[in-house]
Amino acid sequence: MWAYFKFELSQFITNKKNIAIYAILLFLACFYAMKIAPSYEPIEKVDAKEIEARYLSREAFLSTFYNDPNRFVGMAGFGLAIYPEWNNLDKARLDALKDHDFVKYSEATSEWYVYANNITYGNERFFYSPGYYSHGNLYASEDGYYGYLYTASRYKGYAEGDYKLSLNVFEERTALQTLQRLLHSDLPMILMICCIFLTVDVVLKDRLNPTILRGFPISDWKKLIIKGIVSLIGSIGVILPLSVGLIIIGIRYGFGDFQLPVPIYTTLSKPSYFNKGEFVNTAMGNYLVDNVIFIVFCFMYLILLVLLVSMIIKNEFANLLAGAIFIFNESFFFQRGIGFFYEVENYPTNYVQVGQIVSGYRNYIYNSNALNFNHGLMIVGMSTSVLLVFIFIISKYKRYKLI
Amino acid sequence: MIELKNINVQFSGRDILKDVSETFQPGEIIGLVAPNGTGKSTLMNVIMNYVKPNSGKVVVQEKYQYTSKKNEVKIHQLVSMMPEQSDLYNHLSGKEHLRIYCSMWNSNPKLIDQTIKDLGMDSYVKKRTGTYSLGMRQRLCFAMQIVSDTPIMLMDEVMNGLDPNNVELISSILLKKKEEGKIIIVASHLLENLEKISDRVFLFKDAQLINANEITSGYGKREITTVRVKDLTDAIKEMFYQEFPNTEIRSLSSGISLVDVSNYDLEQLARIVIFFKEHHITDFSYGNVTLNDLYSMYYLENVKR
Repeated sequence: MWAYFKFELSQFITNKKNIAIYAILLFLACFYAMKIAPSYEPIEKVDAKEIEARYLSREAFLSTFYNDPNRFVGMAGFGLAIYPEWNNLDKARLDALKDHDFVKYSEATSEWYVYANNITYGNERFFYSPGYYSHGNLYASEDGYYGYLYTASRYKGYAEGDYKLSLNVFEERTALQTLQRLLHSDLPMILMICCIFLTVDVVLKDRLNPTILRGFPISDWKKLIIKGIVSLIGSIGVILPLSVGLIIIGIRYGFGDFQLPVPIYTTLSKPSYFNKGEFVNTAMGNYLVDNVIFIVFCFMYLILLVLLVSMIIKNEFANLLAGAIFIFNESFFFQRGIGFFYEVENYPTNYVQVGQIVSGYRNYIYNSNALNFNHGLMIVGMSTSVLLVFIFIISKYKRYKLI
Repeated sequence: MIELKNINVQFSGRDILKDVSETFQPGEIIGLVAPNGTGKSTLMNVIMNYVKPNSGKVVVQEKYQYTSKKNEVKIHQLVSMMPEQSDLYNHLSGKEHLRIYCSMWNSNPKLIDQTIKDLGMDSYVKKRTGTYSLGMRQRLCFAMQIVSDTPIMLMDEVMNGLDPNNVELISSILLKKKEEGKIIIVASHLLENLEKISDRVFLFKDAQLINANEITSGYGKREITTVRVKDLTDAIKEMFYQEFPNTEIRSLSSGISLVDVSNYDLEQLARIVIFFKEHHITDFSYGNVTLNDLYSMYYLENVKR
């Protein structure tokens, strides 16, 4: 078996298509690190001028209306009630920034976001940061709610933690935070697409050299398992070209810290408009480990899916199609909030947004409390086991020929 | 030992192998002869279980049959088939190919260098096979199987693309492997060479395996059994029959006629010489029926009397 493993691994490494995939990933990682990452504009920026402008305009309002006999007419009274505390927090943030006291800034900012969210959510006269109100986004207010409390939790973690703080950390620009952001967006899908492309020909390539390979004294079942292991190693290997990009980002913006807080949205009961969950911080290291474990499970599922389709249909296009269905299936039926009505947590295809599953964001937008790391591992793991059983049965069938 | 028991293979209703039963013993080189598309490769594929026979079975070393995937692996540890040169990995070197086969069959790694030396492959074995000529690729394929070192070796068209020197080289290695007790089944169109190295030769006719010895009494004997005459006209043939009434003459498409003299004594043989001399026939020789003759008789033309 070891000999066959070495043979398959060398085949995999020298496969031109695989080399091209790694080269493209390396290029994309460098391009991202040099061009896209520097232009990243977080919605929740550290912007002293913006804080000051807001602070001064509220101060002007307060000084104008404080002694005004008509101060209780219209919304002025409401403004007088809420602005002093809000401005205290903005003042504390401004002072902390001026003093370069990042711990105090974190404390004040965390409180600021909680306070701002309490006033803004469900209030038609107040708005979250403009970045949430993108074109066509019907859920800007919900996104703002999530974003504000996420940011509040994050800053609370910064205030309580023991690591070097910086503006780059606050704006999530360090290498580890960039990775976290990418895992929260399209990186898991990109990795899974790479996994499919790396695996798509792992069985079918043998058709090009049948007389060399089919006489090998090793069973089809073992061949398939070894091919799967090699594909898994190769798929995990995409970390290598991607890490080049992270190193570049790390050199420019710092690498971050494995203890940095990552807010996880958690809900104990089924959430609703009035009953939302809360954020609990976990360490960056834990978050990344959970992501890696989950992605490896998804890789295993995808690899076995491609192996099974290769065995039955023997067509690379069919392999791509099967893999694509797994990755993109969710987007065909996804609607915000349907988790309240349907058991979306029982479909393995709903776990491809790995970073969002681990962070709890998927629960938030599905309005569910069941799409979590443990349940996801169980569902994807069980689906993987079912595929494995099918592959075992077919490969042991006496008349079945792999090549 | 390898036994074929009542093997039947049909493709699209046509018999390719029909009730083939034969046993091959250790230390034997078996030659398979037939025109293309008559079942040689199919027989080898059946032995390797690449083609499932419609009925019948293959028994290896008296205990293993293709009854399960587990047994298939066991049989493939004992039986190997020479790869085709078109299947070589062009980006790998010859030596890498040999290493793959050596490690897959867990054979003695010393065999790699020994085989390279025996086949004179030193000068190119480290180059990528994409740069090899036809003959070099063929030698590599042969070397790969030698390195696998299985007790039973199947070789389809092993001499393809080889010059006479390499044919001799490979023949000598095959004879060496035979001495080691291996069963070697060779399909080849180099009939003269095959006749020289094979212990038994089988021809395919009507989907059946025919032992060459059973086709004519004149084949494979170490005595004078045949007179080979060139350009024997019908008129002379008639006169010959009158003088030697119980003699059989077979005319081949090559223009050669074979006169069966298996039971002739010296005096009768001398009379034949006198007959040919009297009729001004000078191009004739004494010997026995060759595999080439059998091939001509069997596949190129109907037997004429």
